[in-house]
Amino acid sequence: MKKEEIELIKDGKRLDGRGFEELRPIKIEVGVLKRADGSCYFELGDNKVIAAVYGPREMHPRHFQDAKMAVIKYRYNMAPFSVDDRKRPGPDRRSVEISKVSREALDPVIIKEYYPKTAIDVYVEVLQSDAGTRTAGINAASVALAAAGIPMKDLVSSVAVGKINGEVVLDLNAVEDNYGEGDMPVAMVARTNTITMLQMDGRFSQEEFERGLKLAATACSKIYELQRTALLERYSESIGEGEA
Amino acid sequence: MEKERRIVVPGDFLGTSEEFTPGTGVYDEKGNIYASLTGGVSISDKRVIEVIPKVETPPTPEEGDVVIGRIEDIRDTLAVVSIACVKGKEKREIAASTQGIIHISNIKSGYVTEVQHEFSYLDVVKAKVIDAKTLRLSTEDKDLGVIKAICARCKGDLKRKGNVLACERCKRVEVRKISEDYGKGLV
Repeated sequence: MKKEEIELIKDGKRLDGRGFEELRPIKIEVGVLKRADGSCYFELGDNKVIAAVYGPREMHPRHFQDAKMAVIKYRYNMAPFSVDDRKRPGPDRRSVEISKVSREALDPVIIKEYYPKTAIDVYVEVLQSDAGTRTAGINAASVALAAAGIPMKDLVSSVAVGKINGEVVLDLNAVEDNYGEGDMPVAMVARTNTITMLQMDGRFSQEEFERGLKLAATACSKIYELQRTALLERYSESIGEGEA
Repeated sequence: MEKERRIVVPGDFLGTSEEFTPGTGVYDEKGNIYASLTGGVSISDKRVIEVIPKVETPPTPEEGDVVIGRIEDIRDTLAVVSIACVKGKEKREIAASTQGIIHISNIKSGYVTEVQHEFSYLDVVKAKVIDAKTLRLSTEDKDLGVIKAICARCKGDLKRKGNVLACERCKRVEVRKISEDYGKGLV
């Protein structure tokens, strides 16, 4: 597969005017869905995702129950209108894979043993996409889980790094993703620097990989702070009442 | 009870296990205590550290809780109840298995020869949890027992007539372990 070369870096800046180590603007809103047990709306540049958490509730069918702990069900779904060309609705190879890795990214922080025989449903809907939706989805899901009162060891933060025109940069947008040389989504627990998801597409040298990982780690700490602030703001004054 | 003004989110460091005993809403990892819920920190006189959640937490049936459910199956010595909600925690789905069991010995204080004499399929019952882990229920108290039942013959509503239930449509009379709240719609 041959891709046409286009200039993604001009005068040391990226096409959208960002520096190499700059994140897109982030907006987090907690408790946006009335009927979900916990929910979160997350914007990362032009990515708009919404995460809803239901449960823990009884697992059906029963043979999927785990007698010792809760089972996490994660569904990543892109809305048909989330991309330029209409996306055929429903799960496909890509979204099934993303659901799996995202579930495994959140799995280690959730204290599942408190709720045996139950399922925790996490639904992530991508309303608008501009590369990096799985990372936005994980960030949103992590906040939504905390808002649902599910016991967790920590929050998970996630960001992608990539390579464009031979440079390792943070948080690719759609153009950079399509015409760049590589993309590496990372999810980690910012406080302990524990990586819970690491994917890579394209070629990175060892130095580039290490540099990318370092970039991702600092960006995850920033995102963690934003997630934290969003939760604190939402729950500082309210007394558990009016939980959405 | 000393209460800190601080609000924490999951993963926030609270102290070490030398300083505090971990209570609810916290977890201990390598001697450090962290929050596992979003809420306010509270430290008791005995230095038990807890997070009092500001978020709604998943409800689980505890011992002594009153639950409402429907009779799903009747066996020789027990009735199987599908639990719909826990009293006082109706807002959310219960975060546990919803299958409860009332053993023949826990139906009422007197002697029960047959479970069928006290419960029938599809009865709505109010019961108390006597073992939260295995979800054993009891209907021994006066306010516990059947709160709604339908006629076995015509499926019409049963009305309470003294100590028995009578069908208004077909005049059939049935016996149950009736709660004193029968037919009131009260939980």
